[in-house]
Amino acid sequence: MADDKDVLRDVWFGRIPTCFTLNPDEATEREAEPYYLLLPRVSYLPLVTDKVKKHFLKVMKAEDVEMWFEYEGTPLKWHYPVGVLFDLHASNTVLPWSITVHFKSFPDQDLLHCPSNSVVEAHFMSSIKEADALKHKSQVINDMQKKDHKQLWMGLQNDKFDQFWAMNRKLMEYSTEEGGFRYIPFRIYQTSSDRPFIQKLFRPVSPEGSAHTLGDLLNEMYPDALTRDGEKKRYQVLIHGIEPLLETPLQWLSEHLSHPDNFLHICVVPAPTD
Amino acid sequence: QSMSLSMTQSQMAAWRKQIFEQLSERSKRELDNFRHYKQAVEQSVWVKKGAI
Repeated sequence: MADDKDVLRDVWFGRIPTCFTLNPDEATEREAEPYYLLLPRVSYLPLVTDKVKKHFLKVMKAEDVEMWFEYEGTPLKWHYPVGVLFDLHASNTVLPWSITVHFKSFPDQDLLHCPSNSVVEAHFMSSIKEADALKHKSQVINDMQKKDHKQLWMGLQNDKFDQFWAMNRKLMEYSTEEGGFRYIPFRIYQTSSDRPFIQKLFRPVSPEGSAHTLGDLLNEMYPDALTRDGEKKRYQVLIHGIEPLLETPLQWLSEHLSHPDNFLHICVVPAPTD
Repeated sequence: QSMSLSMTQSQMAAWRKQIFEQLSERSKRELDNFRHYKQAVEQSVWVKKGAI
């Protein structure tokens, strides 16, 4: 049987085949060909789209403008991991994922500006610190040196699994008597809400000492996501594009299916109707 | 007691098995037909520069 460590590798090397097409309203000198790329699920759009920008700037009249992305009318938030954007907006659609590239009319209402990768780094490190505050009262991240923080970031930026996990494993440790983290860092995303996501305090173990499951978390945070007896399934609960069983222990999910920012990102999307 | 232990083990196997199987299906669905696409991040080799 496969080892649990294989899951970490599968999660890290998840890829979304993507077709980038230039928005037809952009001013170009000649027609722009679409650009095809495998995007890492665990990364962020600004870190993985240098080639896309280079490709489209070849035909653009303007230069040095901020690139942003849209899928079927929805501007894509760069500060969400790529896999979360795909699961939330485009799961159950035909691959490759078709993203429209824009250079003009930046949607300030919907997106944060991202002038450089150092902004992504600040966002990523702040998420890791927040997650460790929940898991270990910030003790692990505060005990690390600046170079250790840099190793986490460089591991993500350069797609280096071993470099990242050599440090990240420390953030995943806990004492056996505690039976898990203090709280599970999680975010639940839904398409049909103005709230960006649900994030509250939730422990991996009940006061009686039993392990909390994914079902327990959803029952507490978003009961509508669950299918009741005799009811037709209305929602899919996706983590990294898969639907774990509701009895999966939350602590295990947090250790194995968290994103590099150490949060478990859970997408609740309408179930396909076919 | 041994029965409840084996029940727990079989339940654990079910959720774990489901995750392995689904990750494998995900890889088939999202990767197998698209391996000719370029990777977004190049797998560069680390080079240490020494002082000359």
